[in-house]
Amino acid sequence: MHNSKAHIWFIAPAIILMIIILIFPLFLAGGISFTDYNLGNKSLEWIGLENYEKMFSRKTYVKMIWATATYVIVVVPISVVLGLCAAMLLNSLRFGADIYKTIFFLPVMATLLAMAIAWEFTLHPTLGIVNSFLANGCGGVREFILGFHWLPWVDSQQSWYHVACANNMDFPYWLKQKNTAIWTICFIGIWQAFGFNMVLYLAGLTGIPRELYHAAEMDGAKSTWEQFKLVTWPMLGPTTLFVVTITTIRTFQVFDTIEILTKGGPSKTTYVMMYAIFEKAIQQNLTSIGAAITVVFIGFILILTFFQRYIIEKRVHY
Amino acid sequence: MQAKQYIGESWKHGILIVGAILVLLPFYMMVSMSLKSQQEIQSISGGLIGAQEVQTFPVCVKTGYSEETCTTKPYIYNYWFAFEKAPIPRYLMNGVIVTLSIFIIQVLVALPCAYALAKLRFYGREFVFSMVLFCLLIPVHGIALPLYVMLAQAGLVDTYSALILPWTISVFGIFLMRQFFMTVPDELIDAARMDGMGEYSIVWKVMLPTAIPALLAFAIFSVVAHWNDYFWPRMVITGNRDLFTPPLGIREFRGGIDSDEFGPMMASIVTVTVPLIVAFIIAQKRFIEGITLTGMK
Repeated sequence: MHNSKAHIWFIAPAIILMIIILIFPLFLAGGISFTDYNLGNKSLEWIGLENYEKMFSRKTYVKMIWATATYVIVVVPISVVLGLCAAMLLNSLRFGADIYKTIFFLPVMATLLAMAIAWEFTLHPTLGIVNSFLANGCGGVREFILGFHWLPWVDSQQSWYHVACANNMDFPYWLKQKNTAIWTICFIGIWQAFGFNMVLYLAGLTGIPRELYHAAEMDGAKSTWEQFKLVTWPMLGPTTLFVVTITTIRTFQVFDTIEILTKGGPSKTTYVMMYAIFEKAIQQNLTSIGAAITVVFIGFILILTFFQRYIIEKRVHY
Repeated sequence: MQAKQYIGESWKHGILIVGAILVLLPFYMMVSMSLKSQQEIQSISGGLIGAQEVQTFPVCVKTGYSEETCTTKPYIYNYWFAFEKAPIPRYLMNGVIVTLSIFIIQVLVALPCAYALAKLRFYGREFVFSMVLFCLLIPVHGIALPLYVMLAQAGLVDTYSALILPWTISVFGIFLMRQFFMTVPDELIDAARMDGMGEYSIVWKVMLPTAIPALLAFAIFSVVAHWNDYFWPRMVITGNRDLFTPPLGIREFRGGIDSDEFGPMMASIVTVTVPLIVAFIIAQKRFIEGITLTGMK
């Protein structure tokens, strides 16, 4: 074809940068995690697995794993399902779908840090509109709906809403309370992520041929639910797999909301891995333990992606 | 039948409107707070824009401005004082410098490499491509700590280089461009070679123009990601205000949540957040395309 050596010049910069910026740091993190190195130290000592032992025995790090797992396990499924529901609703709409799409996509676009602060004020116990909305609703329809009084097994005198109203408007300090902080952070995570999933699902839905629905109808799948089970869900298999993987990887990396809103607290209930790396390695200058967390973190992500590739090859062919 | 359909449709709109309100809640709060006076914010009154009564703002007087300057409507005061307190234009400009440099370098590195992987035959091509595929798995935020150690050893913490360097290689960009170039017919390149064009001019004069749509989507993807990124700047910029990117600025404005005035603070946050949102609303289709780019296979 051609004998020029141009390709060397074309690929060399990319290869050099890949090695320095992406591959070498993996080994560096691995290396540091077996030492007692701290940034600025002149010498370092090999301490083997000590950092990892700390990670799996000390309370702080056990809590870290818990917080991260809770966040991922809550945010991924809910934001995926919400994204799917929103996409299907929008797809079946006669008019106005574009407006909802724009609105639901706004959180994906907006600077998360700014929105975290906006949420902080929205949920603020004295300045926020959420708690004032709740307080104004005591004894009314809001209490009935949000206190779950409409569920037969909820005693209307004992519901969380009624108790809060009775105790001088003692509504939760969403981000400051041990039992609500992580769920509030999860909520903001879902709020931010589901629009992205919705758009991916909308693209997936347009790829399903109309004829399949007609065929399903002829086979006796009349109701929407049956058609969903028979056609939509299997046809969306590849999209779902992709959406789940990418959401999981993003969710693992949650940092902005934690750093600005809770700093890992109260009592480490929101102490996720990315924040732990930042706090240990940058703020407390414990580089080696930060490196150990990094290794575990990357391990999680790699396992997850290989798992996804494996499933792609095995199953999701329709 | 007709009536039934309308009921179904209304139900859907009902659910979606509740969802939309929940989604817009913090945006409403943000804009509303940036327009109202401190008293209105604290008493949660005044609706979206407040009463806009002309008044003298005590914090402003305390800072040393004349009483005359400090007497105005809340929304004017909030935005004026926000710009007085912090070098917002500087932060925005840093955002532009960093995101643009990142994007340009990413293209300079990725485009030739993608061309070589797609259209040139050479020994080791498969190996390079599998290297790209492997690197796709590595989240740059995940390896932030070793990168930070490397930059610290090189004495680059607190510089523009620290903000830009780790992002100069976009394996995703290489992958995307390669897939795109695979679809470009070989005849086009052969014709260019017949005309006596060298490989360099082919990359920049033949391939680049054909790749404009894909590049545009990639540009949006890259710029949005780095404009909004907080984690990395937070790691490598420790105190130098001159290097603050918009998110670091936002963090600074938040400062003392209990002591400060909320109006000017929210005004700064709105100012920093707005450019991207306006761009999004104007060019929605392209933005959604660009940001969900990772969904293309």
